[in-house]
Amino acid sequence: MSRPALGLRSGIIELGRRLFRKVAGNRSCDFRALFGQFRRVLDLHNTAAERIADMGEKLSGEYIFDIVYIRQSYNELHRVFAALLSQFSLLTKDRYRGLGRRLEGIDHEVRRLIDDNGEPSTDLVVPLASARMSRLQDVGGKMANLGSLGNLAGITIPQGFVITTRSFDDFMQHNGLTAQVDRLIDDWETNTASFERVQTAIRSGALPPAVHDAIAGALQALTNGPHQGFLAVRSSAVGEDGEFSFAGQFETVLNVPPDMQSLTTAYKEVVASLFSARPFHYCKEIGCNAAEIRMAVGCIRMIDATASGVTYSADPSGHPEDMLINAAWGLGKAVVEGQVDADAYRVAKSLRPSLRERRIGAKTKMVIPALRGGTVLVDTPADLACRAVIDDRTLMNLANQALTIEEHLRQPQDIEWAMDRSGHITVLQARPIAVRSESGAATRNIPPDSLVVIQTFSGIPARKGTGAGRVFIPDTPDSLDAFPKGGVLVAKNDSSQFVRVMPYASAILTDQGTPTSHMASLCREFRVPTLVNCGNATGSLRNGQEITVRVEESGAVVYEGIHRELTGDGEGKSIDELYEFRRKKYLLRHILPLNLVDPFRDDFTPEACRTLHDILRFVHEKMVIELVEAAEQGLTDRSAVHLELPVPAGIVVIDLGGGIGLPEGAKTATMERVTSVPFRALIEGMTDPGAWHTDMVALQAGDLIAGMMKLADITAPSARVPTANLAIVSHEYLNLSLKFGYHFTMLDCYCSPDRTNNHIYFRFSGGATDITKRSRRARLIENILKTYGFICQIQGAVITARISNIGDVEMTGILDRVGRLLAYSRQLDAVLHTDESVARYSRSFLNGDYRL
Amino acid sequence: MSRPYRIMIIDDEKIVGDMAKLSLEKDGYEVETFLNAAPALERLKAEQFDIVVTDYKMRGIDGMEVLNTVKRLYPQIKVIMITAFANLDTAIEALRGDVHDFFPKPVKIKELKASIRKALTGAA
Repeated sequence: MSRPALGLRSGIIELGRRLFRKVAGNRSCDFRALFGQFRRVLDLHNTAAERIADMGEKLSGEYIFDIVYIRQSYNELHRVFAALLSQFSLLTKDRYRGLGRRLEGIDHEVRRLIDDNGEPSTDLVVPLASARMSRLQDVGGKMANLGSLGNLAGITIPQGFVITTRSFDDFMQHNGLTAQVDRLIDDWETNTASFERVQTAIRSGALPPAVHDAIAGALQALTNGPHQGFLAVRSSAVGEDGEFSFAGQFETVLNVPPDMQSLTTAYKEVVASLFSARPFHYCKEIGCNAAEIRMAVGCIRMIDATASGVTYSADPSGHPEDMLINAAWGLGKAVVEGQVDADAYRVAKSLRPSLRERRIGAKTKMVIPALRGGTVLVDTPADLACRAVIDDRTLMNLANQALTIEEHLRQPQDIEWAMDRSGHITVLQARPIAVRSESGAATRNIPPDSLVVIQTFSGIPARKGTGAGRVFIPDTPDSLDAFPKGGVLVAKNDSSQFVRVMPYASAILTDQGTPTSHMASLCREFRVPTLVNCGNATGSLRNGQEITVRVEESGAVVYEGIHRELTGDGEGKSIDELYEFRRKKYLLRHILPLNLVDPFRDDFTPEACRTLHDILRFVHEKMVIELVEAAEQGLTDRSAVHLELPVPAGIVVIDLGGGIGLPEGAKTATMERVTSVPFRALIEGMTDPGAWHTDMVALQAGDLIAGMMKLADITAPSARVPTANLAIVSHEYLNLSLKFGYHFTMLDCYCSPDRTNNHIYFRFSGGATDITKRSRRARLIENILKTYGFICQIQGAVITARISNIGDVEMTGILDRVGRLLAYSRQLDAVLHTDESVARYSRSFLNGDYRL
Repeated sequence: MSRPYRIMIIDDEKIVGDMAKLSLEKDGYEVETFLNAAPALERLKAEQFDIVVTDYKMRGIDGMEVLNTVKRLYPQIKVIMITAFANLDTAIEALRGDVHDFFPKPVKIKELKASIRKALTGAA
């Protein structure tokens, strides 16, 4: 039984020799020069990584910092990155030019945020399709978000254009409104008539001629086709939807006739809504300056919607693993304003979303476009009211779109959409969901006996928690003025109007409503315990009644009396909720997040780098690959020696310096001569007599046939295989290409006293047996490597594993184990007959029992 | 019960005052923040403070002037100085002006709190 194994081994050794002679003879490129360059890149890479980590720490909320720090540390970071890319480009012969462009793009964004004044654009109108986050200051948050979705596969956005913040500035100036706004800033809290004054002036203002012409041109281009649809005119303030949601704070005018007069009126209406009590209260609460908000306005073609809805890509009430989808007939206004008992779906969030819960609402009302513009709330035709709005296919389509959008915008999103007659979905808006940790608001333990329950409601929590106060039931929006501080708001519908009282509300209960409404997102932002859709709260509670409300998973319990000891979240505001902090920290979004995680994906490209961290990740992957490939292609010099080991591993070594202690001209070395720290550790493990089996383990019939075929591939003289069993070493470095039997291993590692330099990169592939056994072996190796702290990826039978930032002592220990594992796994396929055996052999290996 | 300790923060960057106020209020201090020194010194005439935390480099009245004024008029108040432009000269200058503590920015909040606690127990 041992003959084939010996034959194979000698074959490979011979092959290695032959290949080695070939490459060493033909090419004398200087691997040392390449390695030196690699070291330069590595040093800069590590410096960059340290700087990023330091910035992340200083901006984590544990330090008080200022703009001087941000400017200095970013300048330094950028300098390191520029040097890194220039050295990297030398190493890779300028093969990844896109990286420089990405660095430039990111740099532009960050500097804009730091200086807060990027180059002001002169565009008065911008097509929606070219609105991007990079033009946030021109097009506002909402339109920048929406425009950026237009490029995503499977996502449709409506046609339209954006009237920019530059137009807004011109409009305000042209009509002498700037001084009026200044006065408003000073007196709005004492003189509510001031808002009216500014709004009236805006409504009677005229567009500056240049703005007028720009809008007229864009409008004509938009309506210059067969579909002369009406328009939706939407607010898109700067600051809006990027940092704080401002959900429902500003006007949206729906179904605007596509003529200049109607559009101008709608534009002014949206601009005027900036100067109203709601957003000013909101700004005061979150600590931003209302005078700094500028308003861009989106003019978007209305979708002829049969149905509309809202998708939450993560359930903000403590179940981020689920998505929520609400749908209703007609326009989405009914859903976001909570005017309808919409269909509600809960979908498990995964690569293949699946339905968890379905509730078909009684949608007795719907909002539709009115003939001459505007919208009306009408009765839903009786046969439709209780019918599901969307079918399963559309539901999954919506879920998949939400995943795409969330991935693109990197955080959970609240997505408004519309469906036309053909069932096609158009995304109308996406904005981040204010998902707050609920822990602070967690209900405290209530002694059950001491409290009198006067009512329980089932409903949907928008935010869990406990609040206590006097019941206040508004009969008209105006009556909100009488809302008592600390009151419990009880209302028929959920309405974003309530933001006026939210800073003072202890809890909110509404008869109708959805957790995806504007009000619900504001409640989360203001941390007000809120239950929506609770049936008949307005009928069962009375004005002035003193109650304590506990909002839980599936409903609310109302206790008699005010029990403040049960309320509040104790923690108070967190640093993360400070407006100034978030504003400053915002730039980290271009630096810290890592999106580029999978080098096996097609989009692992320079172009896909969205952050400095991505660039760093890309550089690290490719710098190691550069070395690996150079080694595989035999880029080497003549200082190669044959390594004599107690086991027939057939390894040829090239020493770059300090890796082997040998006299000049020597052609063989024993293990004792190896002074490369990582290589020595590895071969000590590999040659452990227990781990290196000399007996051939019995293959089953099928394995043998598969094995014979592979054997033929490998030993055929014409076969193209990478240089087998080649180690390139220095005192601190090892790059090993190893072929044992059918297993190909590549190991690249750096092991120095400075842990930040250190890494092990491990790739394992091949195998003589069928795919099931190979994947079992892959899992076994994964199990073991994970125990040592590696991060592993498996693709088919290929494992890639990495570990970095570990001390040299720990690392040599790991390398010793990895050496044993390489020896041990040579014949492993043959014994992994069942899935259960994977766990068994993993355990025995880890326990030092290498018997097969 | 005696009144809570009162702390004044003077820094021309809003974020510094905001972050300090939020963190210190959690520990039960009363905190007032000022973006420049003139109104802050005015406020000291009306209200008793235990600690003044001031930026070093500010437009108008700078941190050294705040330190000297406070030490002259209200010697019992402890002054903590923070600066983005930390170097030996500024530190020596501040120490000569009898500063209680001196931090380069970014300031670790924990360390600032520890320094404040030390200033207050020393004062008690």
